[in-house]
Amino acid sequence: MNLFDPFTLPYMQRALLEVLVLGALAGAVGVLVVLRRLAFVGDALTHTVFPGIVIAHLLGRSVVAGALAFGVLTAVLLTVLGSHRRVGDDAALAILLTSFFSVGVVLISRTRGFTADLTVFLFGRVLAVDRADLAQTLAVAVVATLVLALLHKELVLRAFDPEAAAAMGYRTRALDLVLNLLIALVVVAAVEAVGTVLVIALIVVPAAAARLLTDRVAAMTAVACLLGAAGGWLGLAVSFEVSVDHDLRLAAGATIVVVLVGLFLVAAAVAPLRRRMAAR
Amino acid sequence: MEPDPVLVLRRATVAYEREPVVEGVDGEVSAGQSVALIGPNGAGKSTLIRAVLGLVPLTSGTIEVLGRPPQAARRQVAYVPQADTLDPEFPVSALQVVLMGRYPRVGWLRRPGGADRQAAQRALAEVGLAERASTRFGTLSGGQRQRVLLARAIAQEPRLLLLDEPFNGVDALSQDLLLAALGRLRAAGAAVVMATHDLGLAHLACDEVCLLNRHQIGFGPIGTTLTPELLRATYGGQALQLRGDGVIVARP
Repeated sequence: MNLFDPFTLPYMQRALLEVLVLGALAGAVGVLVVLRRLAFVGDALTHTVFPGIVIAHLLGRSVVAGALAFGVLTAVLLTVLGSHRRVGDDAALAILLTSFFSVGVVLISRTRGFTADLTVFLFGRVLAVDRADLAQTLAVAVVATLVLALLHKELVLRAFDPEAAAAMGYRTRALDLVLNLLIALVVVAAVEAVGTVLVIALIVVPAAAARLLTDRVAAMTAVACLLGAAGGWLGLAVSFEVSVDHDLRLAAGATIVVVLVGLFLVAAAVAPLRRRMAAR
Repeated sequence: MEPDPVLVLRRATVAYEREPVVEGVDGEVSAGQSVALIGPNGAGKSTLIRAVLGLVPLTSGTIEVLGRPPQAARRQVAYVPQADTLDPEFPVSALQVVLMGRYPRVGWLRRPGGADRQAAQRALAEVGLAERASTRFGTLSGGQRQRVLLARAIAQEPRLLLLDEPFNGVDALSQDLLLAALGRLRAAGAAVVMATHDLGLAHLACDEVCLLNRHQIGFGPIGTTLTPELLRATYGGQALQLRGDGVIVARP
């Protein structure tokens, strides 16, 4: 298999740049999601963004703008829900997730030939990413990176010890909103490439693998970014090779996720060895 | 002239959904003083601490920290939670936990600098853990973790220190080191308030006591306030009387 040849094609170059940026960004945000054990909240966000995409599509507006609007809306909703102990449980999240998602499906099922559109929004089409999509992803990545740089240590403190963070005067609910918005931004950035369903894998899997391999937040973040980007690259290369050489069409987005899970399994296999080395 | 007290409570009352959790707490704590909050589970000790931190609103009465409302004084206040409430799998070293105490002075965007690292190292040395700086927090023993959290509070250089059951599940060595570090903090002028249900340690660590069971039963010097009558009033049916004046508290 060749890891470089496919990327001489312009559309493959754009796809590669897209997944490298996305993988690194999702990895960095994913570290906070994993440390806060918010994978299910993240998953809810990926689904609640869906009706925004559909509405924007039906109105002929930018899909990313629609995703952003619903991403912000649900980030706020989830933060409010999360601060009420009685409501902020699994059931409330599941209701929110499924109701938003269903509204999206109902809306899109009114259009003709909707299954094609549905597939694109759910699973993305990374090979069709154009310059405008790439520019949007880059812009979102820059914003998210700035926010992370500005508030990273505060977000980590809040994840580790929310009571002490509040006692020090940090507004923990505002920090929760920031993290939910960051997740929403990653989902928005990933909509074109991998769709709303698979993006949670991009967020959670590299960070979970990195957690197995490191004992420090900084190292975990670096490893998660690298794994996310590497998974994107490998996934693209694999799906291209198999499609071209063996005439088996592999969906690029899903192949990336499968490769990421493969990397996670390798990390899980290596982790006990690392612990034994560290214990010596 | 008597210096202004660090903490002043006047008829302080906290209620959740109209149900009073802790009612009518009166008292003053001066620099260098240490007060034990004593009472059974559910007496409102943790709620009172949260009120002094400005994390729950008072329904009546006032709390002043250094002459200001609690929210305005947070930079001068440090809080030490129970170590076992924190995720032992979290990937941070002991030193990084202590450094968190410096975050409010570091500010956004910037990372803790050399001076902050030195302060954190000194604070770890204060609790006898200088050699464990790079050990992952979760792999330390319960007592060591509690000492790391006290070191984080020391690194904040507080004028008021609030502790929630700091001696729970703590080994004897850690207990001695915690007591010694608390003593040095008080000698340096910090006021200390700790929730505890260990009367023996309250005697060792504090000179004043606030007896609580949903309302204040007594507040004053430990020698004259920890009386059998007041302890019975605090613990109700859970207090057993032994010959004469002795009281032991069952299932505190």
